[in-house]
Amino acid sequence: MSAPRATRIQLLLVMLFLLTLQFYLRPRLGSARVSPDFLLIGLMLLAMRSGPGAGAVAGFLIGLIEDSLTPARFGAGALAHTLVGYFAALGRAVFFADNMLVNAGFVAVGLWVRDLLVLMTSGTDRGELITQLTLYSPLQALITAAFALLVLVTFRSWFSIRLDS
Amino acid sequence: MSSISDRRYTRRDTVLFVLCLLLSIVGLFSPVGLTYRLADGLRRSVLSPLVWLQTRAEEGRTSRVRFRVVTAQRDSAAYLAQFLPSLRAENERLRQLLKLSHRLNTGYVTAEVLHQPQATDGRTLLLSVGSSQGVAPFSPVIAPEGLIGVILTTTSQSSIAMTWAHPEFRVSAYTVGGNALGVVAPSTEGGSGEGSLELRGVPFRDSVPLGTLVLSSGLGGVFPKGIPVGTVVGTIREEAGWERVYRLRPAANPGSVPHVMVLVGSRQPDLANAFPSDSQLDAMRQDSLARVRRADSLAQAARASRARRDSLIRSSPMLGGAPASMRPALKDSTQ
Repeated sequence: MSAPRATRIQLLLVMLFLLTLQFYLRPRLGSARVSPDFLLIGLMLLAMRSGPGAGAVAGFLIGLIEDSLTPARFGAGALAHTLVGYFAALGRAVFFADNMLVNAGFVAVGLWVRDLLVLMTSGTDRGELITQLTLYSPLQALITAAFALLVLVTFRSWFSIRLDS
Repeated sequence: MSSISDRRYTRRDTVLFVLCLLLSIVGLFSPVGLTYRLADGLRRSVLSPLVWLQTRAEEGRTSRVRFRVVTAQRDSAAYLAQFLPSLRAENERLRQLLKLSHRLNTGYVTAEVLHQPQATDGRTLLLSVGSSQGVAPFSPVIAPEGLIGVILTTTSQSSIAMTWAHPEFRVSAYTVGGNALGVVAPSTEGGSGEGSLELRGVPFRDSVPLGTLVLSSGLGGVFPKGIPVGTVVGTIREEAGWERVYRLRPAANPGSVPHVMVLVGSRQPDLANAFPSDSQLDAMRQDSLARVRRADSLAQAARASRARRDSLIRSSPMLGGAPASMRPALKDSTQ
């Protein structure tokens, strides 16, 4: 039995809200290297409530958006987000995905893995890669996870669904 | 039934995942020109609302930064503007001091007055020059307007001056007309004593008209002759048959001077030329204006030729003007 129509619309609204935050609030938050990635929050929350295929497609689309808007290597973002979305949906079965802290942890790990994949596929030099992965990515992961927790707390009832059930 | 559905479901997921992965890899290894065109197309079409949103956010952020910069600049300008009148006044005063220094033929040193935050400030002044600059006790202290006082004590880098407001200050003085000689001292008449001087010892037979300038006489050897001390503004008292005491408005105010000049070295016997009277200043001003007018002869010639050309145009019908004979008729018709 699929999720009720109203719940899907609510989830869509949250995703639109996160999209708006990503493109309207994030540029105002100062350093882009550590400011929260709202699109990744959306991807992780969606992937953990849907099947791996949907997670992969959502990741691919989000990656495509990022590849089109950032001057990094085209396709790197799509590949990284596809993998992250797919494995986030698969990981739901292994972990207690209903726990909010586990959700936030997923977001943090997902962001770090995404950064690792993007940096490796973009051909980033070793020094910058190490700096990014040991300093900026963990910081950004923590901040993003905190925001994800905030979103989950705020829209708790809207997220208590399984889109693939 | 359920296991078949799960298998289909898993297969669909896998297909979608592999498809997305393949597309990503194709994008990753596509020629750069093609991917740029693709990204550009996406930005112009599907992603245009997001680009617009991002642009607005960026504008908002830079506007905020610009606003902060403009606010800081405005605050700095307001802060500087607070000091503008005092800077102008100080500048004007330094110019006067400079003019006076050109007119003085005697040795002098300029000094800053270090005002003390006390009620007695004005009776004695702490100056920023001392014996190492040649200042010695009894050196006269003057301002562009006139006499300030005399040096009391000195150290190597500073000195203390007794101004005319000090109760023990005295200077021998005479009126500009030369008809009266006396001693100038701070006024002891109640209330107004702090800010005025009195000319004592003027013989009863010598009357001094109001507005007469009183200068130092040079007697006594402390003050050179010709330094303005004050202007007669009234009579304080008359001791019948003996002397008149006149009230003077001081020439210089020691309470407000920021810079002074201390006369050092050999003394000039007469400094009257260094302090031109009002009429002399006016004459100098008129003279300088006349010189400016003479120097403006080129501009005058240009004005004259322009006037001639205009009158020619007005009187020539070929140049769009009316002949002189027509002008009254034209005037009548317009009336």
